[in-house]
Amino acid sequence: MKERYFSTFQLILLALFAALIVVAKIALRLPLQLPGHSGIFWMALVIVAAGIVNKVGAASLVGLTSGIIAAFLGLGDFGALNTFLSYTMVGVGTDLALLLLGRNPESLVIAMIAASFGHFCKFLVKWGLGVLTGAPVGFVALGLLRSIVGYLVFGALGGLLGALTLRALRRAGFFAYLAEKR
Amino acid sequence: MTQTKRILIALVVVVVLIGAVLGVEAIRRSQSEPTLAPGSIPIYVDGKLVGGFTPDDLGELEQVSFVDAEEGKTQEGWLLRDVLQANVQKSKLQPDTHIVVSSSSRGKSAELTWSEVDDPANWVMFDLSARGTLKLVSVLERLDVRDEWVQDVDRIEVTRP
Repeated sequence: MKERYFSTFQLILLALFAALIVVAKIALRLPLQLPGHSGIFWMALVIVAAGIVNKVGAASLVGLTSGIIAAFLGLGDFGALNTFLSYTMVGVGTDLALLLLGRNPESLVIAMIAASFGHFCKFLVKWGLGVLTGAPVGFVALGLLRSIVGYLVFGALGGLLGALTLRALRRAGFFAYLAEKR
Repeated sequence: MTQTKRILIALVVVVVLIGAVLGVEAIRRSQSEPTLAPGSIPIYVDGKLVGGFTPDDLGELEQVSFVDAEEGKTQEGWLLRDVLQANVQKSKLQPDTHIVVSSSSRGKSAELTWSEVDDPANWVMFDLSARGTLKLVSVLERLDVRDEWVQDVDRIEVTRP
């Protein structure tokens, strides 16, 4: 029998991370009033997910799943399609960056760049859909460059947080525990 | 490929994407027309709306006055030169640039060149009427009596030669 790319255990883990992203988006609020600030916990979760299930497509699957959940829960200000695509592209962007950088999300630099790029992909989707539909996009009013910098910086901070979490998990023996489980 | 090279490629991709976003946004802004407040007098340059103003906005400009020869009344208001300089890029205002100030309700218009408008001695200016609308007055020969003034101005067109 052909072995599946993701085991059921891995799929459950990724689905849990997807749900965590949506919960974090709803529950965690930072009173920063800066565009992209939610990336600090969002990207941390994506990087942790990509580190725990260290396979190409893991981050994309988390993005896709969280996008579906968020779209059904009515999150986001610009409709379900915008929400779905932006959540999905966070994962796809992170995956592409990790693919280029060599899959090692425990490396601080790699995690920061990958998360920064993934988060920037979310910005690209929101901005792109704003351009295509002509709908007013909040971050354009706030200043496009400021928004871009916000998305990149908070994405990188999220990546840093994710990489540090992965290192802490490794030190705590979580990966050895996972190896037994799968 | 070394790790440093991979990181550099990723950074270049990000920079290129940022450049593309800013470039597209700059093109969009240059092509989009401004939204005017109700009651604004629009200013068109070569047929494209570039801005506009309401009589209230003119309060920020320096007020000037002259006494008209026909009735001996003081015409007080704001120079058309200052209004245009506040709304139109300087490079688009050349001495032979054609400026038409018109009133659709009166069916009147005045044709001027930038050199005429730019000369403070011509007093090409807007006077605020009692109704709150603007009338174009001047000491220029073709614009120095009431019949020649353009009352209730509602459009300004700038055409470059």
